[in-house]
Amino acid sequence: MASQKALFPRDAGLQVRMLLTMFLLGLLYVGFVVALLSQGVGVAVMLVIVGALSLSQLFLSDKLALAAMGAKEVKPEQAPGLHAMIERLCIQADLPKPKIAVADTQVPNAFALGRSQKKATVCATTGIMNALTPAELEGVMAHELAHVKNRDVLIMTVASFFASVAAMIMQFAFFFGGGHGNREGAAPVMVVLLASFLVYVISFFLMLALSRYREFAADRSAALVTGRPSAMSSALMKISGAMQRVPTQDLRDAERMNAFFIVPASVKGSVKSLFSTHPPMEKRIARLERMEEQLQRGGAAA
Amino acid sequence: MGFFDSLLGGQKKLRGVAPDRLFAMTTAHVAMETELGMHSTGAGGLVFQPLQTSDFEQILRDANELLASTAEEQGSTLESADDEFGYRWVVLRDPDFEDLVVSLNTISTELQGGGYGDRLLCAVFGFEKDGRRSYFIYNFKRGSFYPFVPAAGEHQRDTEAELRLKAQLTNEMPFEAETTRWFPLWEIPL
Repeated sequence: MASQKALFPRDAGLQVRMLLTMFLLGLLYVGFVVALLSQGVGVAVMLVIVGALSLSQLFLSDKLALAAMGAKEVKPEQAPGLHAMIERLCIQADLPKPKIAVADTQVPNAFALGRSQKKATVCATTGIMNALTPAELEGVMAHELAHVKNRDVLIMTVASFFASVAAMIMQFAFFFGGGHGNREGAAPVMVVLLASFLVYVISFFLMLALSRYREFAADRSAALVTGRPSAMSSALMKISGAMQRVPTQDLRDAERMNAFFIVPASVKGSVKSLFSTHPPMEKRIARLERMEEQLQRGGAAA
Repeated sequence: MGFFDSLLGGQKKLRGVAPDRLFAMTTAHVAMETELGMHSTGAGGLVFQPLQTSDFEQILRDANELLASTAEEQGSTLESADDEFGYRWVVLRDPDFEDLVVSLNTISTELQGGGYGDRLLCAVFGFEKDGRRSYFIYNFKRGSFYPFVPAAGEHQRDTEAELRLKAQLTNEMPFEAETTRWFPLWEIPL
């Protein structure tokens, strides 16, 4: 049997950065656990509590998020086109069919939820369904299905486990710390608190970076499944354009705020990119354009 | 897709074509005619994602030429059209069922030969009994068949009839074991 053509070569740089980020997170967490153990804080109790919280988050978050977005699951009769589109993508991506939900809002958006491929839900807003052509919408849905296929919800929950532990310790210290007159106990508590703070801050940025890399990866998978990177880029352009067209802030308000901005635009941009879960639109589009070129050139070697 | 593909955020290739079991349709067809009184509508379709690249289009042209040359001898016809989801349907009509399966296999083999087998969505065969249509859909990636019987009303399917067909033909062809993957195809042009 002939082998499949790889439409696009692996993005080695992306995968190296993703692995490095995961490695740093892991290293940070190992250091954190060692610090906790050495101070003899009720580590076991803490881990159990956070473990339970993470698990319940994993099991309940999809329902909560859907409720928060005002999204409702739709049956095939209610949204035949969307169902048929996702069914075809599922055959191509070799995935079981997820639940499909629609949120009735004009904001163009889509997201995927669920801890496993079998429990997944993908949601689109009515805004995005109206704004995009079928081929563009297909690209967006393929991107969400790629999150399901790559198990991104599970990976991000695992990645945030020890960050949650650190956050919990800080909250604990905030409420109960400093109340003791015990001078011998004070030093270890301070060490644990400092370690928790550092872990929390560093892991925050590492997790954001990881999230951005997963977005790039999902874009790649989507282009692979649909075979149309350009449709995906044009969807991104439309969505970002629409988002800029519907700002939420009053103009007069925004002008007043601008006067207080002391950070120059270029620095502002790079600081902003450090703080966001999604890569900037231009970077995603640039990568997709590169993939379209690779596709037209005949892809990677078969 | 393995653990590391997941961890690194995605595989390099789509799942390819499973070991070819398309020809199981030919033997199952005999049982359907003799035991169940179902007759082929004489039409079969191949559904795939047409990539807009020059080498993909070349493969399609070659396959079309190949089939057109044999079509005259066999008395078969060949049409192709794009559906609203951007998938291409190549519909073959041939009075001889065996030739029909062979012709569909020719196109899928050409695509696989060009390295584009993973773009194949499915093959569809139409059947008729007492004026009622039913279809068999072949999923190339999983190498399995499943029945699809549309019912009256918009986007309704007769699950009972589908399960009955599976029970009746379970020894004749490889069926898709997970019924959650029995994806319908509405408005089949066969």
